[in-house]
Amino acid sequence: MNHPTHTTLRSRRNWYIHSCYTSGDYKACLAAIEEELVACSGLCEYPIYCKGLIMRHQGKVNESLQYFQAATSLSPHNVLNLKQVARSLYLLGKHRAAVDVYEETTKLGFEDWEIWHNKGLCFTYLKDYEEAIDCFERANDVQRHDASYLQLGKIYCLQEDFKAALKTYQEAVDFSPQNSEILTTLGLVYLRLGENQKAFDHLGNSLAHDPLNPKTILAAGSIIQDNQDMDVALMKYRIAAVKTPNSAQLWNNIGMCFFGKNPPKYVAAVACLKRALYLDPFEWLISYNLGLVHLNKQQYASAFHFFSASINLNPNFAATYMYLAITLARLDDFDNSCAAYQKSIEINENESTTRLNYAITLFNNDEMERSREQFEIFERIFAESGEGEDEPDQEVLAQSAELREALKNEE
Amino acid sequence: MPSQIDPTWLALSRLRRRRFTSCISVCTSILSTSPYDKAVWSLKSQALSLEAYTDETEMEEEGVGEILLDDNAVATLPRPGTSLSAPRVNTSSMGIRPLSSSGRPSTGFSRPGSSSIRPMSGMTVDAAFKGPKPGTARPMTTLGREVRLGTASMENSGGKFIEVDKLDLRKYAGRPDLAVVLVDYLLQVEVNPRKALELCSEATQKANYKSWFWKRKLGQCYYKLGLYRDAEKQLRSSLKDTPMIMTYFDLTKVYLKLDIPNTALSLLLSAGEQFPMEPRILLGIARIYDMLGDIENSSAAYKKVLQIDASSVEAISCLASNSFYTDNPEISLRYYRRLLQMGLSSTELWSNLGLSCFHSSQFDMALSCFSKALQLSNETNEGDVWYNIGLTGVSIGDLALAYQAFKVAVSIDKNCAEAYANLGVLDLRKNDWESAQAMFEQAKSLAPFLFEPLYNLALLQWKRGNLEGAYENVKESLIIYPDHEESLALKKELMGSLMGLR
Repeated sequence: MNHPTHTTLRSRRNWYIHSCYTSGDYKACLAAIEEELVACSGLCEYPIYCKGLIMRHQGKVNESLQYFQAATSLSPHNVLNLKQVARSLYLLGKHRAAVDVYEETTKLGFEDWEIWHNKGLCFTYLKDYEEAIDCFERANDVQRHDASYLQLGKIYCLQEDFKAALKTYQEAVDFSPQNSEILTTLGLVYLRLGENQKAFDHLGNSLAHDPLNPKTILAAGSIIQDNQDMDVALMKYRIAAVKTPNSAQLWNNIGMCFFGKNPPKYVAAVACLKRALYLDPFEWLISYNLGLVHLNKQQYASAFHFFSASINLNPNFAATYMYLAITLARLDDFDNSCAAYQKSIEINENESTTRLNYAITLFNNDEMERSREQFEIFERIFAESGEGEDEPDQEVLAQSAELREALKNEE
Repeated sequence: MPSQIDPTWLALSRLRRRRFTSCISVCTSILSTSPYDKAVWSLKSQALSLEAYTDETEMEEEGVGEILLDDNAVATLPRPGTSLSAPRVNTSSMGIRPLSSSGRPSTGFSRPGSSSIRPMSGMTVDAAFKGPKPGTARPMTTLGREVRLGTASMENSGGKFIEVDKLDLRKYAGRPDLAVVLVDYLLQVEVNPRKALELCSEATQKANYKSWFWKRKLGQCYYKLGLYRDAEKQLRSSLKDTPMIMTYFDLTKVYLKLDIPNTALSLLLSAGEQFPMEPRILLGIARIYDMLGDIENSSAAYKKVLQIDASSVEAISCLASNSFYTDNPEISLRYYRRLLQMGLSSTELWSNLGLSCFHSSQFDMALSCFSKALQLSNETNEGDVWYNIGLTGVSIGDLALAYQAFKVAVSIDKNCAEAYANLGVLDLRKNDWESAQAMFEQAKSLAPFLFEPLYNLALLQWKRGNLEGAYENVKESLIIYPDHEESLALKKELMGSLMGLR
């Protein structure tokens, strides 16, 4: 300090600016900053820095970048300034430039969690996932944070490496067991891996902390729905519907709840599914579900329409073709029905129900030889898959037994 | 002219048969020989005013000047549901039902006034001059309708019939039979409410302030001069003397101008008790409910209208669109079919029929309805039909058809903001982010009352990493639709990023 009086003068009002800023009184803070800037003719670091922060809070990222750059030129070796410059660059979508600035801070020999974390975010946007994973792991080495875990897990999910994602989230839950967002995400990963019970445990845990989160409710509701407990699922969805009345997924699930009820409520199901389709016309699954409902109601023309719409949107789902084939068979269009079965088998040749339905359709149209052929394949696949499964579908068993009898009688 | 018939009688008969032009010519020829024949003079002025008659029970389109410089509203910051500029926003329907340019849920019937933007809704001069349908129509100027009608009728009569400035109004006020005719002439043909007001005040004095007719006319004159509080006083007093249906309509108009729709509503409801079989009162009630965004009550009122007048086009079409947007396309199909049976055939009707057919699973009918709609269309509504075809394309999953149809819609109607927004969404699906952003920007500039393009734009910018733009847009989206859950979530996320919490 060569000029003690001078420095004291510059930082004289910093305490006041800081206290205004931290108490959220931006108006007073900006006024004080203006005064200081005039008094020091713009050569004071902290007020400029503070002004940049306020500008960013108000959504003026570009302006904030200018202020931070000004602060940096006043004091080029202050890591705080550099960090904020990089942050503003990141918020403006200039990720490469932000990474460069972060690297500069590391060159200055400074290391903290935030730098690594933000650098990871930049790499995520730049789709350089390996680098990003490395950054987040380093961030966690310095100091563990929920945000880093969540980002890391997200990248693993993007790479479809669910095992690694699962491990990350489990670590995160160990680290902060109260965070409902992590619990929900962990539940969703379990759901994706098909471990419904574990998923449900975590989702339930998450609901205990945040009972109104629509995303969690939707996921938990779908598991309850899978267990055929439609009324409970509907209760859950009712809570979510208040918060997200425009969620297509929610309406879809509600519709399928009505459809799954015993006896099914077709009108309510169709109404809900149509609402869902209105909200998200590009979701092939809703069209597919609508097709199923109409098929069950024996409205084959409508069912055909929805299945074909679903295929238009997602041509790679084998079950849609199978149901389309059934619909076409009911509409007495045998040739096209066969073509649809073939297409379904082409996509997934190890689906037993497709073979069974194909065999039934062929049988009904007096194609005994081909029917027998498909039925044999069905029995083979069914026997193979039946070993691992806990209990085969009763309806499939009944239908296959009936067809076996019928085929025998034909001989 | 047949010579054996008395010409005065002939004129009278023609007036009764509403053949105004020939009646006027007979009167003119009689007056050229005997200019002081009071009976003929009265006949001619009746014929002239009937010819120029405008139905003033309807709501009227507001001129640009009135929209921008309106200072009649009672409250400057009205509570929701008490003013037409702050309709009660039924947020649950916001994502479900399209909005008109005034920010209200669109109704099934386009009527004067309903599509204009209310004053004080934060509107710019540009928006006022664009009018309800940008690019298709000149904005209304103050007294727009009346001024044009006035000049047209003057040409017909071939020069001035009555020299208004030279009239001794006091003399006429003493003769009620002539004064009644004259006041109509002054209001309808001359469009001179100031002179009419003089006559009315003389006449009401002569009638010892007892005549409901003169009070009503006084109220009308005050209304035209923009003195709404005076108009209200006269009309109220007229109603106290003799309740008349027409007076109720006049008073309703005054209240709507003052932007106190709830008072207008209670007035019409009490009128409805006095005249329970009058469909126009019920229609008025339904319209006000519509303007306030209260769809349930307006539907109930429209249904009552239909019980009295089974062929009210306005009621049927509004009920049809209501049931369409409440997931009952089968019922709306029946209403639209009824309109068709009544002999209506327009692009809009066929296009609505097509949509109703499509959504009630009558696929074979839907496409033929749309092609019929296209046959009947002109350049002002062809774009809308293509837009609907595009929506159908989206519903059947034929996105190529949808894209083409939206493109056609945009090429015909450059102001079809919804088509731009949907093109943006389709572009997003193709991962063409640049084009999608341009489309959303276009939709945003054309229709600042839609929240969907704003939200989509914000989401897109957020995904691309431009948080500043995203923040701006999501803020705007929330101004239009404060309860939009997705926008709120996005804003929270953005705030988190900007504050540096994650």
